[in-house]
Amino acid sequence: MEKNRIKADCLVKTFTRNEKKNKKIDINAVDGISLSIGEGEIVGILGPNGAGKTTLLRMMSKLMRPTSGMVSIQIGEKEITDDIEVKRHIGYLSNNTKLYGRLSSRELLRMLGVLYGMSKEDTEKKIEEISEILSMGSFIDNRIEKLSTGQTQRASIARCLVHDPQVYIFDEPTLGLDILSSAAIIDFMKKERGRGKTILYSTHYMEEAEYLCDRILMIHRGKIISEGAPEGLKAQTGKGNLRDVFAELIEKEGIADEH
Amino acid sequence: MSTKIIKTLVKKEMLDVFRDKKTVIMMLVIPVILYPLIFIGAMQVVAMISSSMEAQNYRIAVDAEDDGAFSRMLAEKGQKDDGSKASEAGGGRTEESGGAEEDADGENYTITLVDAGSITDYERALNDEEIDVYVSGAMQNGKMQYDIYYLSSATNSSYARNIVLDVFDEFKEELTEEKIRAAGLDVHEILEPVLYENKDTASSEQSLGSIMGAVLPFMLIISLMMGTMYPAIDTTAGERERGTLETILTLPVTSRQLIISKFLTVALIGIISALLNIFSMGGLAFYMYQIMDMQTETQSFEIAKFLPAILVCMLAVFAFSLFVSAVTMCVTSFARSYKEANNYITPLMLVIMLTGYIGFIPNIELTQTMAMIPVANICLLIKNMLIFKIDYTAIAVVLLSNVAYAVLAILFLSRIYDSESILFGDGKGGMQLFERRSNLQKGGVPTVSDVWFVVSLTIVLILYAGSMLQLKFGLAGVFGTQLLILFIPLFVVVYTKRDLCMTYGFRKTGIKNFLGGIFLIAGFIPINLVISVGLVSLLPDSAENVVTVFDELMSGNLLSVLFVIALAPAVCEEMMFRGMIFHAMKEKYRISTAIVIVAVLFGIYHMSLVKLIPTGLLGFVICYVAYRADSIYPAMLMHFLNNAFSVLISCCPEKMESVFPVLYRETLRFSDVMQLLGIGLILVGIGLVILQKGKIRGRENKMQKGIE
Repeated sequence: MEKNRIKADCLVKTFTRNEKKNKKIDINAVDGISLSIGEGEIVGILGPNGAGKTTLLRMMSKLMRPTSGMVSIQIGEKEITDDIEVKRHIGYLSNNTKLYGRLSSRELLRMLGVLYGMSKEDTEKKIEEISEILSMGSFIDNRIEKLSTGQTQRASIARCLVHDPQVYIFDEPTLGLDILSSAAIIDFMKKERGRGKTILYSTHYMEEAEYLCDRILMIHRGKIISEGAPEGLKAQTGKGNLRDVFAELIEKEGIADEH
Repeated sequence: MSTKIIKTLVKKEMLDVFRDKKTVIMMLVIPVILYPLIFIGAMQVVAMISSSMEAQNYRIAVDAEDDGAFSRMLAEKGQKDDGSKASEAGGGRTEESGGAEEDADGENYTITLVDAGSITDYERALNDEEIDVYVSGAMQNGKMQYDIYYLSSATNSSYARNIVLDVFDEFKEELTEEKIRAAGLDVHEILEPVLYENKDTASSEQSLGSIMGAVLPFMLIISLMMGTMYPAIDTTAGERERGTLETILTLPVTSRQLIISKFLTVALIGIISALLNIFSMGGLAFYMYQIMDMQTETQSFEIAKFLPAILVCMLAVFAFSLFVSAVTMCVTSFARSYKEANNYITPLMLVIMLTGYIGFIPNIELTQTMAMIPVANICLLIKNMLIFKIDYTAIAVVLLSNVAYAVLAILFLSRIYDSESILFGDGKGGMQLFERRSNLQKGGVPTVSDVWFVVSLTIVLILYAGSMLQLKFGLAGVFGTQLLILFIPLFVVVYTKRDLCMTYGFRKTGIKNFLGGIFLIAGFIPINLVISVGLVSLLPDSAENVVTVFDELMSGNLLSVLFVIALAPAVCEEMMFRGMIFHAMKEKYRISTAIVIVAVLFGIYHMSLVKLIPTGLLGFVICYVAYRADSIYPAMLMHFLNNAFSVLISCCPEKMESVFPVLYRETLRFSDVMQLLGIGLILVGIGLVILQKGKIRGRENKMQKGIE
């Protein structure tokens, strides 16, 4: 928590939608969000569908350019803002980051090693290590299209690990997984936090967020409506669990909007 | 670093593409296995056909008042053949002295003479294929007149007719010789006063090259296109469909590196498959050549002489594969799925093939301009190389222009891959026409896809039905065409529950917008006249055509002509172009883009190369006014005035000539041009100024409404 790792300054993303009556309407999917996350911290993003979670995470991982605002990463004394350089230090995972089905996991990881500018020896060593951690030994040489859902998810995580990034950005990593697989992912995140890694992730599972996160951001209509440790949020609203906190905040926002 | 990244990415793309069955089938199985199989199969079919021909017996009936002279000749011929067949069946060539006859194709046949007396109705006999040819002959003015009846739809009858004609030639010759002899003259002297012989100065390599030049370039183009098509789809639309695009974007790789590696992969696979095709076809050609060589003594070829041609062809294949890959990828990058990409690629293939055909138009030479036209230039270059017509500048221009086009396309592509709307965009503006009608929401304007569909449907219908109506019913037919233009889009608009006022721009507008429109069109007419005359002088032949068609239509009563040619289009065409198309395009694209699309479509719709630019400009000007006025009514007025003016020029030439003598001059003098342009520009300027004022008022109205 002492040192800032990744920082976002007043991010705005505007999409232009064609609406009826010959009008083009600008929608701010993300509307001026600033945040900074320290080393060894897990931050969870909660919010209803369409709140702007995915857009925010895509901008944080430099997949999408913000309409305004800036994302930077602190490595040592250096503050990095260049898109390509920032990507080197981020491991991004979402439901849309599918793997090349016709390659094997090992081939994929080797290719990534070259693309991240790692030496051959380092890559091979890392692959062995990852294979061990995620117990991929039995299927690492099979074509990815032939793997089961859980194996595919493990291969996806392996993809984020190869370059040993300082920051993980996960967009709903446990969505649609069984208890065992999602427990493995939660376990993995906890371990990585222990190694001083920074994790920013979005989820719909409140219990999971409550259990895992050091800090929670509630997002609604592109804005942070509440922020704090799970305990603090509960105390603030006087509710017993995060689910009720969430429901209450959204309701309040809705009423505030109508006025 | 960058080359290492690109190398890795290319390796990955290659692995990815090659591990797919479809690519392997397209690349290897088709050229290496399917072509030879098809070829050998085709050869066997040909052999079967020719063997079935040999056994053919033709039945011919002759009913002539020539004492049987012609029948005897026919019988003689048929008998001789019969004899030779009997004696040398299956022996190949016949070398009997006196010569059994062979027809032009070297096939044997027999003739059975059918008794003409037994045939009562020769037409029926021919139709029932009881006989193949019926010959009747009668004396007319002291000469024998033979009529040869045959059934052109029956193959046997057609062949038999050819034989009869051959016999007639001989028959005639014999009679001629007889007459000459009877007159006591030398037959040879009279019949062959001069002797001549063909001597081909083309080397045997050149004649082979010209034959290959007719086939090879097109084969190359097709095979390259087929080879690149699949990987192009796979690496762009396929990657997006499989969801790996977002993955690769998380990597520290620039979009240019990404595009270049994809492009190199596609081009490389294209080259490989083109080379496989060439080798496969070359192997077949060599095989054929060997077989022919054994059978007949043809001239020998020196393969070495083709070496420069082969080298340049290879270079051309490389350059063309760069071009085709880049262009195909530009198209497929817009697609979100395989299916969509396939839809996009079909028209592209048609365009490429059509452009390729230019290379086969006789008399088209590889000039500097032609060398710049993609596809056609490759065809022409290969053709020229094969007949040993080597022009180094042309070679350089062709190769460089292909590479330059590829580079441009790649630059464009890397811009696309940067734009997020393509990466993360949702497929908006889809077809509503085929949705369940109850699912459609009321109001709004048609989607762009709907409009494209309607426009292509209407234009195709007009192309067929419209021109037929016009030919059959003249002016009324033109009116019918206009009704098509009105009702087809209207049906779709109503069916998809669109808002009529919004779709067509039926809105009140200030008087100044009408006035501005009038000035603008009045200024536009003389300017367009200058442009049209300039264009007509470039394409003199087609211009005459246009005038004659137009004149025929104008020959009606002035009022009805005005109604059909001026008023109906002013309403119907405006509703389609400045109404539906413009408003739909405006929703999706920027205003300037929308106006240009409308103008281009309006130009194309008139389906004439000469009128393309003038009508396109007209469409542009009218569309601009419709946009400024935010209403279709001034556009209708302008369209009416423009068309009415043309009607008056054709219908009342005397009166119009006294007012505007310049319109009827054969050629425009320089002073005329300057005058017309000057007047035109002044009027256009006034029109624009008035429009500016009108617009401000319109805006004020809107603002007031907003406040209310």
